[in-house]
This record gives sequence, structure tokens and C-alpha cells, in this order.
Amino acid sequence: MFFRLLMESFRRQRRRKMLAGMAVLLGTTAVTAMLALATTIGDRIHKELAVYGANIVVTPQAAQLDVKIGGVDVKPVTGGSYLKESDLAKLKTIFWANNITGISPELPLKLDIGLQDSSETIDAVGLWFNHSLGSGALTGGPQLHPWWYLVRGSWPKSTDQAVIGIGLARRYGIWPGAVLHLRTSPEQERREIHVSGLMDSGDGTSNKLLMPLSVAQSLLGLPDAISRVEVSARTKPEDAFARVNPDSLSPQQREIWYCRPYANSIAYQIREAIPGADAQQLRRVEQSEGNVLSRISGLMWLVSAAALLAAGFAVSAAMATAVLERRSEIGLMRSLGASKGAIALLFYAETGLLAIFAGTLGYLAGSGLAAWLGARIFAGDGGSAAAVLNPVLLPAVVALALVVSIAGSTPSIRSALRMDPSAILREDT
Amino acid sequence: MPKLSLLGMLRRSLVHRRARSLSALVAMTVSAAVATALLTLYADLDAKLHKEFRSFGANVVITAPATAPLRPDALEKVQQAAGPDALAAEFAYAVATTDRGTAVVVAGTDFAAVKRLDSWWQVDAWPNVSDANAALLGQRAAQFVADEKSVNLSFAGHPITLRGAGRLRTGGDEDSRIYMPLAAFTAWTGVAPSVIELQIPGGAATVEATITRLRRDLPGLQVQAVRQLVEGESKIVDRTHALMYGAVLLISLTVAVSVLATLSTSVLERRRDFALMKALGGSQLELMSMFLLEAMVLAIAGVAVGFVVGSAAAWAISEGNFHTASLPRLSVLPLVLLLNLTIAAMAALFPARVLRGLQPAALLKGE
Repeated sequence: MFFRLLMESFRRQRRRKMLAGMAVLLGTTAVTAMLALATTIGDRIHKELAVYGANIVVTPQAAQLDVKIGGVDVKPVTGGSYLKESDLAKLKTIFWANNITGISPELPLKLDIGLQDSSETIDAVGLWFNHSLGSGALTGGPQLHPWWYLVRGSWPKSTDQAVIGIGLARRYGIWPGAVLHLRTSPEQERREIHVSGLMDSGDGTSNKLLMPLSVAQSLLGLPDAISRVEVSARTKPEDAFARVNPDSLSPQQREIWYCRPYANSIAYQIREAIPGADAQQLRRVEQSEGNVLSRISGLMWLVSAAALLAAGFAVSAAMATAVLERRSEIGLMRSLGASKGAIALLFYAETGLLAIFAGTLGYLAGSGLAAWLGARIFAGDGGSAAAVLNPVLLPAVVALALVVSIAGSTPSIRSALRMDPSAILREDT
Repeated sequence: MPKLSLLGMLRRSLVHRRARSLSALVAMTVSAAVATALLTLYADLDAKLHKEFRSFGANVVITAPATAPLRPDALEKVQQAAGPDALAAEFAYAVATTDRGTAVVVAGTDFAAVKRLDSWWQVDAWPNVSDANAALLGQRAAQFVADEKSVNLSFAGHPITLRGAGRLRTGGDEDSRIYMPLAAFTAWTGVAPSVIELQIPGGAATVEATITRLRRDLPGLQVQAVRQLVEGESKIVDRTHALMYGAVLLISLTVAVSVLATLSTSVLERRRDFALMKALGGSQLELMSMFLLEAMVLAIAGVAVGFVVGSAAAWAISEGNFHTASLPRLSVLPLVLLLNLTIAAMAALFPARVLRGLQPAALLKGE
């Protein structure tokens, strides 16, 4: 009988059920979409923040002091110390290796390119171009400096190609297609290189020649040498715990510090992995990124909470009305001898079924909506950040819909049950 | 029998069905509060986000040509052209020698300005402004001086002793430099400032406009945007803005439809009232306006309460997240009112089609 009542109630009162179901459906859609967006916003914004480039820089420990003003070496260091390019493979062995999203080693040099005044040299830098990172992703100079625009041509594809900065190109009239004859010292044999592209960086790099790292190494006669490495890593925004000196912590605390993806702990692990290296977080990028990231995701969570609250109110108001308008039904059932408990059970069962059904639909609709919104807003991120359906959200959202619906209809059910059945029945006649 | 006025009917209708009126009022309040909170936050969003991006420091660098330093009034002119909200700091550079014989870049600047501009600088202690010979030592540079407390440097034969206030850590070029107050720097080296770092608040369009103005007002100087900062900021602010826009629409729509469902149900269930009034001689128009008026009163009451609640929510959210308050904005009120009145009107008129087709007699007989 109970089930028959339940089924009939859904069959016969389609309009009413539709309205209440609609409220639950929309509420869960909004909540699911907001939560799905809020949980992925960190990753998405982090990808956007990649435009700021590397957040960790690795240099040789015993290096001499850089004498740089405005990105230009005033007194080039000769016979400095270098890191080993082959050591970079060790970056893939550290605890947070998977958080390292880009590596760009560099080796600066001065070149004689065969100008009329043979004593005049130009600045050049050896870089990786589309170097495989092991996991299939490509990395190198252009990837870590998204603000380097290729005006014309292409990045070097082989070791006889180089890209020229726009400032240098204008000064000497060297454009893509030209062939340069390079050497670092008068006694060296000139090496032929084709200019394959023109690059504009908007900063000092525009005055340099960008060539593959191996070419720079062979020109300098320093195989395997690199002078600086920029590393881009996904990090956790710094908090008070991140700033402590790990060597002053107890072993347990140190373990916790070590196993959190702070820029400081990743830098610490890089120092451990590469002998003779000094790794530092680039505070300008790292600190500010953390700041922006935490603000935006905080905003999304708070707005999600507001959405939750609003949807909760709206759903419970709709549920309350749905029960309220069925008071005469309650009166009739009471007068036919149904116990209060049986009636309450029937109504709760109806509400619960509705909440589960509409909540699941709302979860699907909300997930779809979040994926669509995310794809539209963060277009061109190179694939979606996460799977469309977040399975953790389903039970959470449905449970929420259940709780809110039951909580919303409880006062109405109670007050209807408290009233005298005859009074309810006469009210409408 | 006293004549029943429209207002009297309205009052009785609202008071008599107290539970229903209250649930309708709650629904209207929620919709108004949500709309107010989201619109207030949304109106403030860009300004607040741009403010967060100020922590990245200077987004424009003004450089003097190698042949001539900046004129003494350059900083003042830059500040004028960029507006009072912009932060600017002058830098002068020279290469000096430490007491260990290492070449080191020494920079003269205004510590107070740098402290505001470059908030990512991690220093042990900012030097006292009144101390003319205080210095900040970059963490790498500090390894090349004999005594960090009293730093002996020489520039072209002129020696100077600086009091080291502490170390500076940035991870960038600053780590290899020594910073000191500009006045003492110029007196010591005779080198005038050559670089002004400028932070212009706002998006790419504002920065571009200011750069154009700077180039016009300061001919001969090189004015260059720090490209990654300007572009990144615009991109992220735009995307967050779009995200919030989607959220505002989505949430408003949800709440509006839920409220609509609640209200129209409560109108529909008054078919009996409707039939009775119609049987007593009320015209279709009178009856509809009666329902409409009732809904409007609830909607306006909802806006009054909802605006206060929503403004408070917006204030709490921005205080909690951005640490700056979002003050209530009266400018969102018309939009909120419009939204609520539309919901109320739709809720009252939506069932009209159903009600119009009813035969009062049939309904009153209970068929």
C-alpha cells in the first residue's frame, strides 16, 4: 500500500512534482557547477600564471658575483663555474619531479659574427628548443618565456639554425634567411649557422642571438656546461611553515616540510639532487603567483558557499510550499486512520526520491555546465584540466539535496500533522 | 457590512495566510540577497583583482639613454603623467669594488618607495629612512664582503663605509647587488639615476594609454612595458571576470527559477479564492491586479531585507578573501529591484492562463 501511494503520488501530481523537482534540479546544477569549477580553478589559474615564466632558478654555487645592470652583463665573467647539462636528468628523480613542468638551461656567450669591425662582438645564448622532458612534454627557452614572440620564421630545428632578436636584427640588418659565420676567438674556425627566425621579447633578450645549447657549448669548447637553469614548478603557496629552515626542524616535521610542494622545498630538493648547485625561488614570480592564486580560488570557494546557501534556501522553500499545499491530503489520510508516522514516512519518502532523482540529474547537468564554462573561459589551455565528471561530487551533491529537501519540508509536515484533520478538511470546503 | 478596500484585502490576504506569506517573503529575500551580494562583488571584482596583481611590482620600466642620465625632475613628471595611484621608484647603478676585490653592482634608491613597489623583497630589516648610509645586501653579494655590518666599498678611488641593515633575498638579479640610499649614492659616485620602475594600476589598456602619455611627456627616454606582467594580468583578470559572470548568471537564474516555482505554486493553490472572487463579481483584470499587487508588495519587502543581507554577505566575502571591504552599492539596487519585480510579476501572471480557463461554479462545487 505504501509503495502504491508513493507511486501514485508521483504519477498523479506530475505538475507539482515537476516544480519541486525543478527547484532541486536547478539548485544542484548550480552547486555542482560551482564546486566543480572551484576544485579545478587552482590548476587552471596556475596554467595561466605560466606566462610569468620560471619560479625557481638554479645557478652554480661557487659562481662569481653577476655584474648585471638591466639584464646586461657589464663585466662578463670569464672562467666561471658551470653546472652540468647531464645533471638535469636528476631533476626527474626528486620527490616533486612530477610538479616540474618546464626546464630551461642557458649558456651565454659573446660571438664574433664576421662584421667589418672584427673586434665587435654580439651577445648570444645557448638554449634548449623543444627538448623532450621525458613525459612527452616539450620544454626549453620558448616554453619558459611565453612572452618571446616569434615574429617570423621558426625556432631552431637543427644545430645549424639560430633565432635572432629583433633589436640585434635591426642594428646589423641580419634577417631570417641570412647565414652567419661564428667564432668566439680569432684562432677558432668559423662555424656556419642559418638564421631561421626573428624573435621579439620586449626585453634585453631581443638583443641576443638564440642558438641551440649544444652549438653554444661547442663554440665555447665547454661540452656539457650550462651557467643557469630556469625551472617552472607547480607549487603550493607559501605559508609560515614553508619559510622555516628545514635543517632546524625535528625529523618528523622535516619530513612533512619536505613532502609539501612549496617552492622552498622543491628548491631544497634540487640542491640535494644536483651537486654544486644553488636553487632559489624567484620571489617576484613565486610570491605574487601564490597571492593571486589563493585570492581567486578563495573567491570561487566563497561564491560556491553563497551558491550553496542560496540554493539550499530556494530548495527548502519550494519543498515547504509543496507540502503546505497538500495539507488536505494529509487531513484525509489522518481521518482515514493513518498514523502520523506513516504519513510522515510517505512524505519523506516522496521528498527523498525526488531529491535523489533530481539531484543526480542536477549533478550531471552541473558537471556538463562546468566543463562547458571552463572550456569556454580557459580556451586554448591544451586539453581539459580534469575529467568532466568528478565522482567525489556525486554523493556529496545528492546527500546535500537530500538533507536540504528533508530539512525544508520538515516544518511544513510537522505543522500539517499537528493540525486537527477535520479543521484542515473543512478549510477547503 | 463595511466595504472592503483593496488595501484591506491585501492586508488580510497577507496576514491570514501568514505561513505562506512568510515563505514567499523568505524566497524573495533570498533572491534579492543573492543578487545584491553577487552584483556588489562583481562590480568591485576588477579593481580588487588588479590590486592583487600589484604584488608583482613594476610593470613599466623607464630607462635613460646611455649618453645622458635622467633629469632631476623626471620622477616628478612620471608621477604626474601616471597619476597619483601609480608607484614609482628611481634607481641609479654603478659598479664598485668590495674590500675583497670583487666587482659588485651598487644601486642607489629610495627605500621607502621600493618597499611599497617590490613587496616580494624578503629583507631581514628595512633600513631606517633617516640613516643615510644604511645598505641592504643581496644574499649573494653578502658573501663577497668581509663584514656585513660595516661594508667597505670603493668607486673610482673614492671609499665609503656603509652600515649593513640586513640581507635581501629575491632569487633574481637583486641578490647580487648592494642597495643604498640615493642621496648618499650620488654624493659618493656622482652617478645620477638612470632607471625609473613604475607600477601602473589597471589592465593592459590603462597601461598602454599611460605609456603613450609618458612617451609624449618624456621624449628621449625609453619607456617599456614588462610584457609578461601586463599581458598575464589582463588575461587572468579577464578570465576570472568571465568566470564570475558565469557564476552570477547561473546562481541568479537558479534562485529566480526556484523562487518562481515556489510563488507560482502558492498562487495556483488559491484557485478557490479566485473562483470565489470571480463568482462575487470581480473582473478578470481586478483579480489579476490583486494577485500582482500582493506579489509586488512581497517583492519590494524582499528587496529591502535582501539588500541589507546581501550587502553584508558581499562585505564579509571580500573582507575574508581580499582583506578589503566591499561597501554596499546603491547602484545595484535598481537591478535587484527589477529582477525581483520580474520574478514576482511572472509568478503572479504565470498561472493566469490556468486560472482564466476555470469555471468558478465548477471549482466551487469541488470538481
